[in-house]
Amino acid sequence: MRTPKLKHGFGATLVVAVCLAICWPAVASDTEEEAPGRAMAHQVVKNQALWNTTAHSQHAALNKSFNSGKEITDACLSCHNQAADQFKQTVHWTWVAGADHGKAEYSLNNFCISTNRTADKGCLSCHPGWGMKKESINCLACHGQRKINWGEAFEDYNAFSGSSDVEEREIATEIQADIQAAAQAVGLPGRSNCGDCHFKGGGGDGVKHGDLDTSLTNPDKTLDVHMGIDGQDFNCTRCHTTVNHNIAGRLYTAPAAAHRKSLVEDDLTSKIMCESCHTDKPHKTSAKANDHTDKVACQSCHIPQFARVNPTKMSWDWSKAGKRKNGKPYKTKDEFGQFDYLSMKGQMKWEKNVLPEYAWYNGSIESISMKDRINPGEIVTVSRPVGSREDENSRISPFKVHRGRQPYDKIHKTLVAPILSGPKGFFKTMDWDTTVPTGQKALGLPYSGELGFVDTTYVFPTTHMVAPKDQVVACGECHTRTGGRLENLKGFYMPGRNYNKWINTIGWIAVLGSLVGVTFHGLGRILSSTRNGRKEA
Amino acid sequence: MFRKFLVMALAILVSFSFISVSFAAEGNKRKGKYTYRKVYKACHERGEVDLAKPPINPDGHTQAEWTTIFEGKTFDEFGCQEEWSNLGENQLADIYAYLHAHASDSPTPLKCK
Repeated sequence: MRTPKLKHGFGATLVVAVCLAICWPAVASDTEEEAPGRAMAHQVVKNQALWNTTAHSQHAALNKSFNSGKEITDACLSCHNQAADQFKQTVHWTWVAGADHGKAEYSLNNFCISTNRTADKGCLSCHPGWGMKKESINCLACHGQRKINWGEAFEDYNAFSGSSDVEEREIATEIQADIQAAAQAVGLPGRSNCGDCHFKGGGGDGVKHGDLDTSLTNPDKTLDVHMGIDGQDFNCTRCHTTVNHNIAGRLYTAPAAAHRKSLVEDDLTSKIMCESCHTDKPHKTSAKANDHTDKVACQSCHIPQFARVNPTKMSWDWSKAGKRKNGKPYKTKDEFGQFDYLSMKGQMKWEKNVLPEYAWYNGSIESISMKDRINPGEIVTVSRPVGSREDENSRISPFKVHRGRQPYDKIHKTLVAPILSGPKGFFKTMDWDTTVPTGQKALGLPYSGELGFVDTTYVFPTTHMVAPKDQVVACGECHTRTGGRLENLKGFYMPGRNYNKWINTIGWIAVLGSLVGVTFHGLGRILSSTRNGRKEA
Repeated sequence: MFRKFLVMALAILVSFSFISVSFAAEGNKRKGKYTYRKVYKACHERGEVDLAKPPINPDGHTQAEWTTIFEGKTFDEFGCQEEWSNLGENQLADIYAYLHAHASDSPTPLKCK
């Protein structure tokens, strides 16, 4: 029993020694000069200071009284006269992404499930129209630099402005001044503009993505080396570039991974990936990490964990919803201060500093829709990364996998979506028997009345929260026999992880043979030179 | 004796609710919201508080608690005593109407935005 242990110990020491020998030059020299990938990236962003050609506060169109959001939009469009036509074609407005997909169609997830083709009005709080309606664009949702409660401001202004009470008219004047100041404070979208929806998707801060939450509104560079306000201070728009109001970086339908264009080749490319700035050989020439870039996404090593400041929701069990204590709905909180049980939502699990799960990924996500049949006998993958080792565009990439247990139709074998918001929604009534039929009717899909619950998974690519280089994933976290980060990725050989007795034996014979050969050769040379020396003497 | 006590208790209860209702009915809750905010804007400008935002949300108390606070005029927990003491009866009634209408047990509980 002791021999194998010794053998493994000896083997491990040798592997570490070889790894150190390979990696050391890169580690040691990294401090001496900048890696080419970083130098290239610095060159790309060196002139990033933004400048304006107009002061919106001086425009006559914005120096008038506004009684509604639409009047502000009309003022914007009086100069930017192509903007509405452009924006109304984008997925941010339509919520449609190809046949049957998109929030306004039959897409679903395992959080709040579906918008029921926007019949669930609560979802429209993230639609960039005025007053939760898909009518007039609210340009300020993305371009407004000063936040006010628009609904309240217009309602109160219209209530006070014609009043006979002097005090009320004074309040109206103050509200109008706020409205005008906010209408004039416009610019490129900032982090909080995007973050209002993308940091709080799924109904709260950090619920959905894991790598996107309000900690990125003003992060330091230990959380994200690009967005850190004490570092590069990137806004979202630095990477998510825009053409005709179509915002790049949307992975699902037109993945940037299919092009992998460098800004050096094409400085107007609209699809930016890590390689676009850092090139595909970002590390120093001698660094082993450069040999990984054709198979491993940068994010896999450079985002060791996500949700490093705020927790993120990792599971949601709808089947537990509806419980009562003393006849009343109740809620409980976990160690992070997050609700881990709400009668109106079910059981939740929140986590911080989460290790991603890894999969081959070419930049596309494949999802099922409300129309698709499922197999309730197994875990339903509501969405999954597309890619394989054989696909040249695929890389091993990190993901947050959100696990759910959600309602389905036992007869039609489809996932179902209750209406959640409003006085008759599930959040108020906690009644599946009324809210699921209403939700399915809004979708125009059948419901048998036989409700069951099924386990599901939903994935999010992890691409934000890039850590400083001293926190990158170490070689040994993947190249290890057991418990490594890539333990679940099968079908290929990975040094240090995979083991073949015969190959290893042959390898060790070769190593030891060489060692013995070199030793004897050296000894022979020493002995012969000594003998020759004596002869000469 | 018991009957007398019951009648008295009922009378107190009815008058109490009447006072509450009249207090709420008199105030202008929309105006009260802005008066409440103005208190803290002025207090912030004076330098007593760090934020120009009311520290207690309407849903920070139940309707009954708001009634007790405003009937007793016990505004200690609000801070900014200088601004509170300068408010007239109508302004207090407005603020009360706003807070009471959006208390934690009201049909529309609200946080200050």
